[in-house]
Amino acid sequence: MSVAVTARRWLPPTVGLGSFVLVLVAVEILIRIGAINRFIVPLPSDIAKSFARVVIEEDIAHRFLLTAWECLAAGVLLTVVGVAFGVLLHHVRLIRLACETWVAAMASAPLVLAYPLFLVLFGRSALSIIMLAFIAGLAPVILKTVEGLSATRRVLVDVGRSFKLSPAQQFWKILFPSALPTIFVGIRLGLIFALINVVGVEFLINFGGLGQLINELAERYDLPGTYAAICFVILVSVLFFATTERIERWLRSTA
Amino acid sequence: MAEIDRLIGARPARSWLTPVVRLRAAIVLGVLVVWQLLAVSRLFYSDVVPTLNTVAEALAKLLASGDFYWNLWVTIDEIALGLAIGGVCGLIAGLIIGGNKFVAAAFERYLYYLGPTPKIIFFPVMIMWFGTGAGSKIAMGAVSCFFPIALNVAAGMRQIDGVLIKVGRSFRANPWQMATKIYMPALCYPIVNGLRLGLGVALIGTLLAETKLSNRGIGFLVIQAYANFDMPRMYAILIALFVLAIGANALVARAGGLADIKHK
Amino acid sequence: MAVASTSNRVVPVAQAAPAILTVDDIAMQFATDEGDITALDDVSFRVMPSEFLAVIGPSGCGKSTLFNIIGGLLSGYRGRVSVGGETISGPHSSIGMVFQEESTFPWRNVIDNVAFPLEIAGMPRRERIARARRFVALVGLDGFEKRYPSELSGGMRQRVSMARTLASEPKILLMDEPFAALDEQTRLLLGDKVLQIQQQLKQTTLLITHNITEAVQLADRILVMTFRPGRVKRIVDIKLPRPRTSEIVSSEAFGRYVAQIWNDLREEASRGLIDDEARALHAGEHKA
Repeated sequence: MSVAVTARRWLPPTVGLGSFVLVLVAVEILIRIGAINRFIVPLPSDIAKSFARVVIEEDIAHRFLLTAWECLAAGVLLTVVGVAFGVLLHHVRLIRLACETWVAAMASAPLVLAYPLFLVLFGRSALSIIMLAFIAGLAPVILKTVEGLSATRRVLVDVGRSFKLSPAQQFWKILFPSALPTIFVGIRLGLIFALINVVGVEFLINFGGLGQLINELAERYDLPGTYAAICFVILVSVLFFATTERIERWLRSTA
Repeated sequence: MAEIDRLIGARPARSWLTPVVRLRAAIVLGVLVVWQLLAVSRLFYSDVVPTLNTVAEALAKLLASGDFYWNLWVTIDEIALGLAIGGVCGLIAGLIIGGNKFVAAAFERYLYYLGPTPKIIFFPVMIMWFGTGAGSKIAMGAVSCFFPIALNVAAGMRQIDGVLIKVGRSFRANPWQMATKIYMPALCYPIVNGLRLGLGVALIGTLLAETKLSNRGIGFLVIQAYANFDMPRMYAILIALFVLAIGANALVARAGGLADIKHK
Repeated sequence: MAVASTSNRVVPVAQAAPAILTVDDIAMQFATDEGDITALDDVSFRVMPSEFLAVIGPSGCGKSTLFNIIGGLLSGYRGRVSVGGETISGPHSSIGMVFQEESTFPWRNVIDNVAFPLEIAGMPRRERIARARRFVALVGLDGFEKRYPSELSGGMRQRVSMARTLASEPKILLMDEPFAALDEQTRLLLGDKVLQIQQQLKQTTLLITHNITEAVQLADRILVMTFRPGRVKRIVDIKLPRPRTSEIVSSEAFGRYVAQIWNDLREEASRGLIDDEARALHAGEHKA
């Protein structure tokens, strides 16, 4: 590849990254000269240093696993229940007509605000977090399952009819495989909602893994540590998002 | 009689009681019945599932109290300001990113990947920067809604049919005319859509911040009820909150739908 | 609107073998916003075993309706369709359908697509894969068994659909413009393939098409339909030699058949054009 083409491909990402580095350097300088209060914004170099400290002292691996387990549990629940409900809604037209808008409303409702309620019902435990994340992520799975099943191309249904498939065969051999890519989009959305809610509620109720870490460090007034922990959580979240996106794209290409 | 009814096009008496309506009523009724049974069965610790009349009483008391509306106003105020700040910043960012390929290639991925992160974890930083009062809540709302608005506007900019821009240029429209007669109408739908999403997340961000650290607002009322273990009151507040939130979402969606019709 | 022809009705003639497919007085109406439209009116014909019958007509003549009726996917029509004496009342196992649209299952590879009807019939895996392979080879796609439809061209995908239907070994192959989405050259070459297969299997085939060249290239007889309401305008015997290849298109006899059919079709096609314009005008008036 010619130099010009390579440069054109790598210039924008470099500029993007570079500007962030520049901002960090500028902030560092401004704090050192006293233009920014170092008790409100810690030195970027301090934050970088505390990364290692936070990872070692705060048992990051264990916390990460706890958060991951909560997400996984919520994820399994919302997949099983969500797809089941979605299939039900698709098959029974009356239920779909009655409930689909309700589910859509649920998708946009601020369910996480009911977390104190879950605290009362399930106590300050991982179960509260899992249940809340499950409910918060359920709606997109249901909606996408219904959407995927309904969007099965007419001609494929006709192929099934022309081969005299039974309703069960029609569902398992045609409708469901055809809907799978869309269903995975729904599951991915549900998982993302679940992660956001898991970390958020961990922070709010000061229990759990990574979310709780941020809260604890903030209450200890460990500024660089808090910033470092926030960065770490962002990293985890970005990785999760990117990985699920890769998986979804791979699934879509084979379907 | 029937003849006249037919002539004047009267509808049969039961037309609104469709099967859908009946099923919905049945579901709601079923939930209420199960609730009441759970409440009186004492299966849960007292008041965790209060009886329907207790909740209704608390709801009536709440809606009659002055401090509910005062706190509601505080929250609405915070959300509105957060939405305004985040919205304007998001709009500008979206326009820049959507309009310039290089800027988009450099920066859009950060918006895209930072979008689906739990913003509430930024709250400690917001408190440090803006204090424990309304400032940090407004900041939470603004940060929350910035991302979906920016991304939607950027996408909208890119999706403007290139042909329409060429038409404008071929008629030698000046920049102001291009902006108002071509870009703005085309961006109407993405902006409204972004605002709809933004409202949802700004609402959540602001309220969660209130539950964490505040002495006013609806979020504060919820936590206060929880701390006092006044469950009927907490249910009442949550019910009022959800009705308002879903109502607000529906309103913006309706407004968005109107923009949609023109777009089509 | 006189339909001047002596052979627009199939007169029972002493046949060597009875018809394998009989279509009797089919009529079908649809209710639309603009009132009832009669798609088909009094369509009758017979298909002989191993015969290749093409049904040709302009857009709007009800060909696809006829396809769906014979395939058993539509109900609510008058008249009857019978296979070997048995009246059909839904998709019949003796009739295999190849659809116009893209119909391969995108989540299955070629061999699994083709083996689908055998899988439904409960054939064990090893046996059905072996049998499906034969049909994959028959349509000229050997080597592509493990590929997925997204990796194939449009023409190859239609061949997969065809192989899938052939794998169920239907007595009658019913195809609705399977090559409509393909370019002319690919069509001609695939037409060769179809001819080859049909001659090899002695497959009774009923092809719905709007392409005159295709019809004359492939068929033993051609049924020309009128514009809506669809009726049988004329049945033309194609006395071109068999076995045939696509080289036949350059012969004189071919040209004469095409001209004859176009003569019949032109009138119907222009009727269709006028009808289109009238509708657009009417719709515009509605809005204003």
